[in-house]
Formats: sequence, structure tokens, C-alpha cells
Amino acid sequence: MSGGATAKTYTLPVGPVHVALEEPMYFRLDVEGEIVRGVELGAGHVHRGMEALALRRTLFQNIVLTERVCSLCSNSHPYTYCMAVENLAGMTVPERAQVLRVIAEEIKRISSHLFNVAVLAHIIGFKSLFMHVMEVREIMQDIKETVYGNRMDLAANCIGGVRYDLDEELTGYLLHGLDSVRGQVEGVHKIYSSDRMLLRRSRGVGVLGAADARELGVVGPVARGSGLELDVRHNAPYGGYALLGVEPVVERDGDVHSRAMVRLREIFVSIELIRRCVRELPGGPTTVLLPEIPAGEALARSEAPRGELVYFLRTDGTDVPNRLKWRVPSYMNWEALGRMMRDCRVSDIALIVNSIDPCISCTER
Amino acid sequence: MLDFLKILAGNVFKGPSTDGFPFTQAHTPRRFRGKVHLNPALCVGCTICRHVCAGGAIHIAERPDGSGYDYTLWHNTCALCGLCQHYCPTGALSTSGDWHNAHPQSEKYQWCERHFVPFLSCDGCGAPLRPLPPALTGRIYADNHVDAARLMRLCPRCRQIETAMHAREASHEAQSGS
Amino acid sequence: MKRNPVLDPGLERELELLALRGGFRSSEDQAGNLFHWFRLGSPGDLPAAARLLAARGARLCTVTAYDPRREHDHPRHEVAYHFDCGGVLVTVTAALDEGEPRVPSIMTEFTNADWNERELAELYGIQVTDRPTPARLFLDESLERGAMDRVIPVSVLMNGASSSTLWERIMGERQDESGSLVVHEEERG
Repeated sequence: MSGGATAKTYTLPVGPVHVALEEPMYFRLDVEGEIVRGVELGAGHVHRGMEALALRRTLFQNIVLTERVCSLCSNSHPYTYCMAVENLAGMTVPERAQVLRVIAEEIKRISSHLFNVAVLAHIIGFKSLFMHVMEVREIMQDIKETVYGNRMDLAANCIGGVRYDLDEELTGYLLHGLDSVRGQVEGVHKIYSSDRMLLRRSRGVGVLGAADARELGVVGPVARGSGLELDVRHNAPYGGYALLGVEPVVERDGDVHSRAMVRLREIFVSIELIRRCVRELPGGPTTVLLPEIPAGEALARSEAPRGELVYFLRTDGTDVPNRLKWRVPSYMNWEALGRMMRDCRVSDIALIVNSIDPCISCTER
Repeated sequence: MLDFLKILAGNVFKGPSTDGFPFTQAHTPRRFRGKVHLNPALCVGCTICRHVCAGGAIHIAERPDGSGYDYTLWHNTCALCGLCQHYCPTGALSTSGDWHNAHPQSEKYQWCERHFVPFLSCDGCGAPLRPLPPALTGRIYADNHVDAARLMRLCPRCRQIETAMHAREASHEAQSGS
Repeated sequence: MKRNPVLDPGLERELELLALRGGFRSSEDQAGNLFHWFRLGSPGDLPAAARLLAARGARLCTVTAYDPRREHDHPRHEVAYHFDCGGVLVTVTAALDEGEPRVPSIMTEFTNADWNERELAELYGIQVTDRPTPARLFLDESLERGAMDRVIPVSVLMNGASSSTLWERIMGERQDESGSLVVHEEERG
């Protein structure tokens, strides 16, 4: 970047198309020398009107539509949507289905976290580490493809249960894959907590204090990186998580490094959760018959890889919803960038943006 | 840094981890959700697949002459979600391991799964009917001492009459026997 | 097994007072998580409800605006505010005036209401009062407000998905056994 260390003030546009951004978002930065003094966000470049589309489709078709809101948390969307329908109709999901849903959710969480942590290395120019972490993630991709049939969209959920089951062969494959991911992530965790270059670029950068985090209502690893014990799996355990119990992973410093460490440590928690699920997998059916869906309104929420995901459903007795609204975790985290980037260096912008693990296709829907 | 050098050295010895496709076969897992296939022998024309299909990829139309129906599944708007497979009551639809979906633009409207499913005529009244596949019939009438094969060749109305006659005969027999 | 959190009884009573005319109820999911639903007498009561919730440390989860046209034949917007209150989800709903849908801002109590209010203003054409005019969030200034009421999905625009024109083409271009193209006239009609 030009400008040098002079105290001249100017406006710097970043995005919507920019080498450091994976998805289109527009940032209008007020810059003094190399220091950012003000941030303004401009969204809407990939707004697809999916909520309007959902009102023209049946409750079944919306399982598939919601799975395509976003690729990295593609399982959380249909999962939470199905829970909203189940809450509305007062359905009882069988225990086996609940635990199978947890397995799908945690597999997606591990891949999503690995992806974000890899991009951190990519942005600071540590390309070989980036390639290595993506390679570890590839094991998770193979698991998804083998167990569910697709590398991103698992198609695991249906209203009233799940659409897949585990057999002995696939369970063995899954556990073997997780063992090797665990070993590899231990190495990655060690590098991220000790490598001098990584620490210099990520510690004390993009700090969001606990008070700011609470005020802005941020969620997920961003909130937990700032010391808030905010995890829906713990605070309001739903579905299979009510049977299992999850302790939130919290870091106190609120910087880019804290958020990365929350994600890395959560991978271990997720692996442990999946192992427990497989060990304690209850027998019985994987889905229940669909009752009449009555007119009414219902909410459901879950902890997606990026944080709390909320679905609101309103029906009128037909099988096409009257309103389906979803609030994705990234939606809550964007505004925090203003606080994180205050007085940061221009060269840290991409790093800070990536640290909230932003999902623009989720945000704009 | 030393930790990373160890990983780096390990990766050098492992060699490339990419598939050699197209020169070698790419590995396709057993459960892979590829192109959807219909087994017309199992299809009963209940249209649940069309109802749940997210992409609107399924078209089912009865022929005007009443000889059967045409089943068309256009792969180009199929989202490979597998809902049709999940909800199909007879297992007629399945996702295959075939992911070779590239085709020239000129062939896009022919990129279909097309089947003609014929109707039979009812043994009783001759009305067109689509019988249930034997496996499903066996499951439904598992605990019933009736001639399921004959019932399946009848339309719903004739089936009701047949069952009623059967019940009357049975009760007559029971009365005369006692 | 852990007990599910419940709503502060004091807060519950005060919100019930605000919802005396509109009505209130609660529901729970399979795991025993509680959901409270309050319908305000008028949208003017919203800031009072927001103050009560903010004082008890609630967090604004999201805001849903909707126009359930199919439930009553004329346009009438409703706005539902969803809060997390110590693990319990509290929904405060307000039905807006038919002629001029407007709702007071709750940004003083909840900073993160900003984006939500901007979104409902542009998607449903609802006026948000007591705050600077909400700037557009997703849609360009050149587009009229209230897009949700007249949006055309891109799949329809592009003649994709399952339009009848498309199926006419697919059914028209079928190959017979010998591989040559046959066109069925009756399906062209």
C-alpha cells in the first residue's frame, strides 16, 4: 500500500472485489498514514432473495434450499430449519436420529474451523502452512464424501429425523479418519501457539473487549475469543446436545490469535463428541412419520460453526410457509469489525476480517 | 519453525496427494450422490418424488390414451439432494455413483432420465391401473391370508368388492361349519 | 441432567402486563428449552419492552418482519423481535398500522438492532422512527422499498428451474429408440 508513514488522511476503498477477500464486501476506510481511523461497510453484492424464495416452496423443498444458503455451515441450516418445523408440530425426534445429527454437525464444524485457520496462514503469507492445514481438512472432506455422499452438502437431515445411518464399516472409517485428524491438528495447534511469525502477526491485533462483545451481541468463536461463555450447545442445549452436554471453549484476549485458538481447541472437543456419539449411539428408528403441520409460529436455534443460528417459521396450515426467516451468525459479527479495526494497520485488515470467519453468502441470503 | 519443518519433510516423502484423473480412475465412495436413476419396474406413479423435488426436475404425465405415464427427470436442474430417494416408498429412485455430468450445450434438453411406465387393465372391470411391485405387496399382505397376486391385478373398487365377497364367504363357511 | 433455564418471573410479569391486550403464551421444544411469546397492544409499547429486557441483560437475536397476506386478505405487517434472555428465547411481536407501517427504533437499548432495522425498512417498506433514516443494507438506493412483496426469483427471470416453457422444450426434444429426434405435437399445445 502506498501512503507511507505520513499523517495524511485519505479514504481507502477495499472490495467488493479484492485479492484478500474471498467473497464480495465493500469497506470504506478512513486512513491516516498507515492507521485505520474509521470503517464503513457496504453489503448486498450477493443478495439472492432466498427468504422470498422460501415462501414459494414447500416445507420439503426448503430442506434443500436452506442447505444451500452457505457451504461451510450447510448442515446447520437444514438442521435448525427442521428443528423449527418439529417444534411447531410438536414432533418427537428419535434419540438415534438426534445423535446422528450431532455427528453430522460436528464433522462440518471441524472442516469449517480448519478452513478458517488455514486461511489465516494464507493471509499472513505462510503458504506452506496453509497448504498443510487444507491437506488435513481433506481427510474431513473424504469422510463427508464417504459417509454422506457429498463433500459439502451432507443431506443428513429431514423433518423428523435423519436421512442416513451408520454401519460398522463406515463407523470404522470415520473413527480412523478422526484419529489421524486429531494427530495432525495437535501438530497444527502447537505451531499456531508457538510460531514466532504467526504470534507477531496475530497477537494484540483486532482486539474486541468483552464489554464491546456483549454490547454488539456477537456470537460464536468471536464471542468466545473475547471471554464470553456463549455457546448454544451449552446455554440452551438442543436435540442431541441435551443428551451429551458440551463445555464452551473460551479464550480471554479477544484478538485474532484468541479467535483462532478457540477454533483449534474446539476441533478437539468436536472429535471427542463424535467419538462419544459413536460409542453411545442408541438403537431405534432414524426418523418418524410426518404429522399434519399446523398453523402457528416456532423458533429454533443451534450453534453453527460461526455461532448462534436462529430460524423463525410461521405457517398457516398449508405446506408452504408464510414466513421463514433465518439469522445467521455472521450477521451479528460484522459490526464488530468497526471496533476491531479501530487504529489497526492497513496491512492487518484482511487478517482481522478473516478472524470473524465472515460468511457473506450467509449474511445476505 | 522447527515443528513445521518436520511436517514439511514428512510431506515431501509422502509425495503428491492429488488424484491422477483423467488418466486414472477417481475414487468414488459407495454412498456418493451422483445422477439419479429410476427403476421403472418399481415405480407406482405416486408422484411424491415430484412433490418433494427441490429443483422441480421431475415431470410425470399420463398419456392421453390411458396406456401409461411418461416419467422424465431432467438432470440439469437436479440438485442431487437425494430427497426423492428418501421419500420414494418403493425404492424406485436411487442416486448412483455416476458423476459424469458434462455434456455439450446442444444436448442439454436431452440430458434426461426418460421412462414409459405402462398401465395394466383391471381383471374385474378393465380400468387402467398401476399394480404395486411384488416386494411391496408382500410386505403389506404379510399377515393376511389372501391371494395378494390376484388382488394386485384389480383396481381399488374391484378390490373392495373382492375382499367383501371373500369376507362373506368366510363367514358363511364359519356358520355352516359350527 | 441439567435443568433448563427459566425466564425471570419479574420480567415475565412485566412483559405480560404489556401484552395484556395482545396475548401471551409459552412453548417448549423436545429438550425442554422454553420459548415465550408476547404480543404487544401497540407498536408504541416496544421501547418499554426493550428497556425491560435490556435491564435484565437480554441479547437481541434477530428481528423478523412479515406480511402474512394469506392469513388475511389485505396487507398488514407484523414485526417480531427475538431476544435471548439467559438461555430462554423471548419473542415480542407488534402488529403495525395498516396504512402507514411504522415501528420505533430500539437502538438505544440494543446497538445490534441497527442492521435488523435497516433490513426490515428496505425489504418491507416499514418506517423506523426515532433514529436517523436507516441507510440501505443490501439493496441499492435505486430500488423501491418493500422488495419482499414483489420480488421475482432469479430462477424465474432466467427461465430456469421448472417453468412450463422449459418443460415444453425438454418434452419436445426426445429421442426415439433409433436415436433420432422426435417431437410430440400434443405436448406442444
